[in-house]
Amino acid sequence: MTKGNEMTEPDYAKGFWNPYLAGVALGLVLLLTFYLMGTGLGASGAIARTSAVAAHIVAPETVEKNAYYQEFYGKGKKHPFMNWMVFEVVGVFAGGVVAVLTARRFRPGVGRGPTAGVGLRLTLAFAGGVIGGVGTRFAMGCTSGQALSGGATLAVGSWVFMMTVFATAFIAAYFVRRQWS
Amino acid sequence: MTGPMYLLGGFGYTASLVVAVIVGFLFGFVLERAGFGDSRNLTNIFYFRDMRVLRVMFSAVVTAMVGLVLLSWAGLFDYSVLLDYTLLETYLLPQIVGGVLFGLGFVIGGYCPGTAIVGVASGKLDSIVFLVGMIAGIWVFAAGFPLWGSFYKSTDLGRLTLQQVFGIPLELMVLIVVAMALAAFFLAGLGEKWAPYDK
Repeated sequence: MTKGNEMTEPDYAKGFWNPYLAGVALGLVLLLTFYLMGTGLGASGAIARTSAVAAHIVAPETVEKNAYYQEFYGKGKKHPFMNWMVFEVVGVFAGGVVAVLTARRFRPGVGRGPTAGVGLRLTLAFAGGVIGGVGTRFAMGCTSGQALSGGATLAVGSWVFMMTVFATAFIAAYFVRRQWS
Repeated sequence: MTGPMYLLGGFGYTASLVVAVIVGFLFGFVLERAGFGDSRNLTNIFYFRDMRVLRVMFSAVVTAMVGLVLLSWAGLFDYSVLLDYTLLETYLLPQIVGGVLFGLGFVIGGYCPGTAIVGVASGKLDSIVFLVGMIAGIWVFAAGFPLWGSFYKSTDLGRLTLQQVFGIPLELMVLIVVAMALAAFFLAGLGEKWAPYDK
């Protein structure tokens, strides 16, 4: 944190790259992806496929008949995990693990405000996941696919999505401030 | 050779999956190094405590955006392939509804999908719970699809760019976004000094 007052940088924020340099590095990875593939990065598509596969284990017929999951389980289609973005997200996890280990930063725990309870934080993490999960499907993407990749290629829907996400989050932040303070 | 290589026949499907793992690896590595494996670093922006998310994301968008134009000027990237085949299509109303829900999910849940994966790699239990929530949320979306399936593909504006909407050349649009980014970086510094929640 760069603040004028005496507040010191909390431990969880220490030791990372300068945000502008990290942004340029992220942009170069995105540029490389566009150069090689013609498409950008993504994440939520792989989670949607995971949800389809998990549901398919329990109720295969329901999933195959479901109008949305037919996108992944249609006749003659490959397994939902045989997909570019699923492979990419496996890479994201591996890259995260290597980055955490080489920085000696593997600290198991729950990210929450100094006085917020674990129960409150985990309840809201689940609720936020549910709401955000529905959101990714209507938006057809998330911060990676829409905001970063669509943003860099100046797609109108991606910019509308990005602006809506941040406007909503800045307003809603007030109501969940307890978990972060 | 000219990009986008995969679309121009530079390599095949199997190689594309290898590329996926490699660029994914780099993506995950940089996300972690940016501090995005911890929900507090991701949500501090909404309390004007630390505008790291804005700085990282806007510099990433600008770098890739300018890079694509430079590569295209150098004859190393065919920008028209992007515009004609892979640019994300705009579905205006669904993307606004999705943006509202996603924004709520972000500040309530503390993560977005990609950063939650890195959160798991960092050992954060809240990121695992968030991802389980997302999987459940997508079940809800799929179960209710008969209700909102027609809305999901409504207000389809096709592959539409900002420069088309404003009727200006790509290069000018890029300059405007760069200027927006610089203004946002300046305002981010003011926001951190303001810090309304910490007074």
